[in-house]
Amino acid sequence: MNKSKSRQFFRYLSFLFAFVLGNPQAFSQWIGYPTKGVPRNADGSVNMMASTPRLASGKPDLSGLWISDITPDGENSPSDVFNLPTSRFMQNFGVDMPEGLPYQDWLNPIVQHHTDNLAIEDPHIRCLPDNFLRAYGLPHLLKFVHTEELMIVLNEMNVGYRQVFIDGRVLPEDPSPSWQGYSAATWEGDTLVIETIGIRDGTWLDWSGSQITEQGKVREEISRPDYGHLLIKVTVDDPKAYTSVWSVTLKERIVVDGELIDEVCLENERFVEHMDMEY
Amino acid sequence: MKILVSIFILSLVSLVVDAHHSFPAEYDVNQQVSLRGTVSDIEWTNPHIFIYIDVLDTKTGDTVNWALELGGPNQLLRLGWKRDSLKLGDTISVQGSRARNGKPLVNAENITMTATGKRMLAGSSRESAK
Repeated sequence: MNKSKSRQFFRYLSFLFAFVLGNPQAFSQWIGYPTKGVPRNADGSVNMMASTPRLASGKPDLSGLWISDITPDGENSPSDVFNLPTSRFMQNFGVDMPEGLPYQDWLNPIVQHHTDNLAIEDPHIRCLPDNFLRAYGLPHLLKFVHTEELMIVLNEMNVGYRQVFIDGRVLPEDPSPSWQGYSAATWEGDTLVIETIGIRDGTWLDWSGSQITEQGKVREEISRPDYGHLLIKVTVDDPKAYTSVWSVTLKERIVVDGELIDEVCLENERFVEHMDMEY
Repeated sequence: MKILVSIFILSLVSLVVDAHHSFPAEYDVNQQVSLRGTVSDIEWTNPHIFIYIDVLDTKTGDTVNWALELGGPNQLLRLGWKRDSLKLGDTISVQGSRARNGKPLVNAENITMTATGKRMLAGSSRESAK
């Protein structure tokens, strides 16, 4: 290293040292780190009903940290970062359907088996990735990073990601099945309509073991009616697994002053060992 | 009154927790146990933190090493824990649900530091009980 480069290096090091000393938060987790641009009421609380953030194109910006909204109607506070709920849809996506999900005959006994044995064979327990539909309801933060032509959804569970292309591309004709499938989206007014295909056969959607197959097509219609909420109408068309097309509407709630924190499940998963089971 | 409200809020918080695995398959909510022991090991790991404590069995005089399962690091950090909130040798009390297999394993719901009396939620996965 010559003298000039050496001086530059030590100047940089000094700056870094001074920065760290002057910013105690640099040492800590980013829990509580203030989210930028949060609309506030006069009392300082988050204005959940504030106007929808928008991209330069004028379309809604879906960016943010999101978690299941299980609050009663009329309650309009953001989710606390220490208080991450599980959606009741995670028990079974058909929870609101009087007849339940319209399983094909072959799937009925499988769901019954998983229900009876308390889902001990759940792929989630074995640290396999959660499909995006399931991720919407689990108590792990999702981060939407939304640009004009691409939306990335980051999932702190197993450090996962999902790509939604909004760049005009069409879905692949013969996709190799994957955990998150292949997603392309268009706008219908202020609603982002995402079409997804190419999901792995037998991907679990909930704790009951409701599944989606390679034939499955998922349509999501995502709207952000205000600052603090997302509405996601999900329609599943999978004739191999279900006798008819079914739809549910999921609700998500904004999380402010928080951040993703990795949760890599394989690090020290012990359930299988404790249950005297095998992988 | 403030204490009652705090307890109520803590109770609500404890119901909204991680759900990595099938809680009712592994633990029995009807077998609530309270233990007091000395921390012998800490695994600050995903998806669950494990704390091991030596507990004296007053009936037999033997010391039994119990494993306590807590929530994962992100969950506990959000609840206010730090990696060094507990140290080897600390004496703690724990309340939680015992494992169905009869082994000295507990899904911890809260932990109290004997030295300070500070009570901390443990991120139990009891909420996912079904």
